[in-house]
Amino acid sequence: MKQLFSSLLLAAAVAFFSGCNKNNEAPSSGASTAGNSKPGKKLTIALLPKSKGNAYFISCQKGAQKAASELGDELIFDGPTDTDPAKQNEIVENWITLGVDAIAAACENKEGISTALRKAQSKGIKVITYDADSLPDARTFFVNQATPQGIGYALMDQAAQLCASNANFAIITASLTAANQQEWQKYIEEDRAKNYPNMKMVAVKPCDDLKDKAQSETTALLSTYPNLKLIMAICSPGVPGAAEAVKQAGKAGQVKVIGLGLPNENKMYVHEGVTQAVILWNTMDLGYLTVYAADAVARGNLKPGDTSFKAGSLGTFEIKGDNILLGKPFVFTKENIDQFDF
Amino acid sequence: MNTHKPAWKNVLLAHETILLVVLIAEWIFFDAIGRNFGTYDNTCDILRHSCEIGLLALAMTPVILTGGIDLSVGSLLGLCAILFGKFWRDAHMPIPEAAACTLAVGALAGGVNASLITLLNLPPLIVTLGTFSLFRGLAEAITHGVDTFTDFPSSFLFLGQERWLGIPAQAPVFIGALIFFWWLVHFSTFGRSYRAIGFAPEGTRYAGIPVGRRVAMTYVLAGIVSAIAAIIYTARLGQAKADAGNGYELYAITAVVLGGTSIFGGIGSVYGTLLGVAAIAVLQSGIVHALQPSEMAGMLTGALLILALTASVLPKMISRLRQRKSALRLAKQNT
Repeated sequence: MKQLFSSLLLAAAVAFFSGCNKNNEAPSSGASTAGNSKPGKKLTIALLPKSKGNAYFISCQKGAQKAASELGDELIFDGPTDTDPAKQNEIVENWITLGVDAIAAACENKEGISTALRKAQSKGIKVITYDADSLPDARTFFVNQATPQGIGYALMDQAAQLCASNANFAIITASLTAANQQEWQKYIEEDRAKNYPNMKMVAVKPCDDLKDKAQSETTALLSTYPNLKLIMAICSPGVPGAAEAVKQAGKAGQVKVIGLGLPNENKMYVHEGVTQAVILWNTMDLGYLTVYAADAVARGNLKPGDTSFKAGSLGTFEIKGDNILLGKPFVFTKENIDQFDF
Repeated sequence: MNTHKPAWKNVLLAHETILLVVLIAEWIFFDAIGRNFGTYDNTCDILRHSCEIGLLALAMTPVILTGGIDLSVGSLLGLCAILFGKFWRDAHMPIPEAAACTLAVGALAGGVNASLITLLNLPPLIVTLGTFSLFRGLAEAITHGVDTFTDFPSSFLFLGQERWLGIPAQAPVFIGALIFFWWLVHFSTFGRSYRAIGFAPEGTRYAGIPVGRRVAMTYVLAGIVSAIAAIIYTARLGQAKADAGNGYELYAITAVVLGGTSIFGGIGSVYGTLLGVAAIAVLQSGIVHALQPSEMAGMLTGALLILALTASVLPKMISRLRQRKSALRLAKQNT
């Protein structure tokens, strides 16, 4: 009886003091409980976009919010609204004193943000990155939205689906020297040689990441190679540029257009039947997976060395080293493109 | 007879007092609704985040007091940051030497502003609008917009990220600058001449004060302080890139004007500027801690500026109205 009474008194005292200290709670206390917290405790997860007004990240936020409400976590979504590179750091540092449990960051400045993320880690906050990585020592995992192999294979497979097995196609790239473009091309060629050996890549033209240059290059390609069946643009301004050229040449549907780009700038061409497929990743899934991973790392359910991870309704994802792979790129077509707004 | 108000009333209605009340109200408000806002850790963070803009605002105060303006400080911060990185990484200078060279660059750049304004008699707004583009353009050209300086030694990063005797390591630099500008504006003959220049440059010249030299000094000081801010900024972020300090000139000017310094010159104080910087910094941190979107900070800073200016003009307007009323009454009685 006496024991019961004293424990009740203790509980009341704890409740009283925790109520009083709502505002002055030491920042480390929120974080230190994060590591060994019981499942079921509501966590605060902070999601940092590169910039806040960007529709791409708004779309990530949608998925993230869905994940947070499934998990019963609180989601904070905040990021820079101007071009000040110090803003991301300031927001992260505010989150540190705020006492969040986990931070998931898309990094604008790799080196700069890493300083703040390391500081968060030293205070016991779990840190992961998504979309754009920080330095590896500043986070536990990177949610990698697409590997070069995934992108290259998806583009080539899509091209093969749309054309005859002996069709000619051409590539519009950003520049001949850009490292990521070269890497994607390497995998496009690998997939072609292995699986579609009769298809022929007739030309690679750079468009300097400009829509009008992509358009003029495509116009030139169409007259140089009259039996061209498909244009594959592997930089985002290239896709609408190539589509515009095909449309103006009156060859919509005869010459197919696919590419790596954003849904919004291609919607019109997709609905007109000029562009058949736009390839990227599903940004809502990216946000969803990121929040699930942040939650699991903070609860201690996901540790370095794990090779797979189950994220709610999306199922299981592969982990390669410290990269959680979002998996196969997503294909936007006439049927699904209107569901996305970025 | 009612033009001579008691001294306590003057102090109470001074712009700075109103701003101090606003600042305290802000603090109490965010402490009540924000999570972990009033903690010591967060106070240190507020100090660290406002250090660079605070420094720029301090240096901007004498400039605006003379009736001038310096729009180039943010761009100069960017230029100094990448030159500091270049001196250290590419010229293999030790950090103190690189810092000294950066300060020299800052002084030189300030000197460019100063000589264009005082020797050629060009308007400060136009001159510094030009160097605003020039300095940022130079920074982008030198780095081709992509080169980033990083991997600074941890002994240097200490200045921006760690605590020294329990306070942020950059705080002593800021306090030093604060004491210097306080002395300069309020306790030296320079300060008196700045106000005089702001009120009436020609009259001041007839009074035998070397107006050109005094004005030039404020721009050179702004250049040096931009360089100091650049070094601290680099230490805080651990990187130097050409976009460092983007838009900081406007934050600094906002803080100075919020602090009660007249944009036409002649009136103003360093403690007003200090309060202005603090009011903006507390607001920006408070918004995040209250889990409100950070773009609210921009809106509220604007509202705060308008509110504070209105509040300090209102008492004067009321007393002017009263005077007019009593004058009318007198006129009526006489007729």
